[in-house]
Amino acid sequence: MSTASTDAPASPDSALADKAHDDHAHGDHSHGPKFLAHHFDTPVHQFDTAKLGMWLFLAQELLFFGGLFVAYGIYRNWYPDDFSWSSHQLDRFMGGANTIVLLFSSLTAALAVRSAQLGTRKNTSILLLITIACAFGFLVIKYFEYVHKFEAGLLPGNLFHPHVDHLAASTAGLPIPRHGGSFFGIYFMMTGVHGVHVIIGIGVIFWIWLRNHRGEFTTEYWTPVDLVALYWHLVDLVWIYLFPLLYLID
Amino acid sequence: MSAYRENEHESDDGAVHAHIAPIKLYVGIFLALIFFTIITVALSLVHLGPVNLAIAIVIATLKAALVVTFFMHLKDDNRFNALVFIGSLLFGGVFLAYTLNDTGRRGETDHLQGAYVNPATGEVAPGGAPIPVEAPVEAGAAHDAPANAHGGH
Repeated sequence: MSTASTDAPASPDSALADKAHDDHAHGDHSHGPKFLAHHFDTPVHQFDTAKLGMWLFLAQELLFFGGLFVAYGIYRNWYPDDFSWSSHQLDRFMGGANTIVLLFSSLTAALAVRSAQLGTRKNTSILLLITIACAFGFLVIKYFEYVHKFEAGLLPGNLFHPHVDHLAASTAGLPIPRHGGSFFGIYFMMTGVHGVHVIIGIGVIFWIWLRNHRGEFTTEYWTPVDLVALYWHLVDLVWIYLFPLLYLID
Repeated sequence: MSAYRENEHESDDGAVHAHIAPIKLYVGIFLALIFFTIITVALSLVHLGPVNLAIAIVIATLKAALVVTFFMHLKDDNRFNALVFIGSLLFGGVFLAYTLNDTGRRGETDHLQGAYVNPATGEVAPGGAPIPVEAPVEAGAAHDAPANAHGGH
């Protein structure tokens, strides 16, 4: 890239030059398109920086969930039979339905980005709203699952006091495991933290919907739609692992 | 300046040129994800022992790869973003492997070393291999016996 095409300073280590450049950039709008922040040379420079920042955030998210997955691994390794019994108390049908709801919302999020790239604003709005609706659907199903767990006494740690008449038919006659509370502690932490991500997702997707509605995005600038979709796909990604690990233990 | 020149999006005008994939591709990926979900539920109903866990993780990883490659556009993205993602997975793997190697083997050598979580009761750490029958489990045994008396070698 040639620096001559922009008004960026030639030597970035010169503080004086930077300041002069800043004053200049704030003073008029000859720098570039309206969406381009003055500290970026070109739109692609800004786009790549935003994407890298988002991927670093997603890497952090994976490591954040990683702690919970390691806790899961430790306790499942210690108490495999208790985990199997506890897993059978979860509703595979509801868990599977939620998997399909989230996968579908990932599809609509991906299509929303495509629509934003093409500049079809109305379609972008509709696809973002469908994604939000799916997120609410996910939370409703999760709510019914949680209510059943509370009623059945399938709770974390010392609160684990299952009521025999509420338990799954597949474990009838089997003794109540000693460490079921460990499973449900991990179950509520993992699905709870994931659920918080879904709620935050609803908020940020709505924010992007609002900005799209205001007409802030064009075929040249759709980075925020792309980034919010990346976040939403990560929420989907975590659930892709949570579903078999929690609901489908043999 | 050259750090972002490698990007495929880069062109002379400095504008972002998107790779716009056809709708068919996205729908196809979605259908593949649903297919794998059905497969993983179906296989969980077959009793294969420890293989069940391995199959579940392999299928989940296939699904995750589809999401990351196509929905999250890593295929056409700056390679450095893929490195960030894979890097976090590798470090997560190190975390998991080393921790499981510890917690999964605790107590395995306690009876050899006369070391117990609670020496007064002979309580061993959770996990690890079953303690051989000749290991002292009665109260006070760990205090009375020399550290290597039960080594068996």
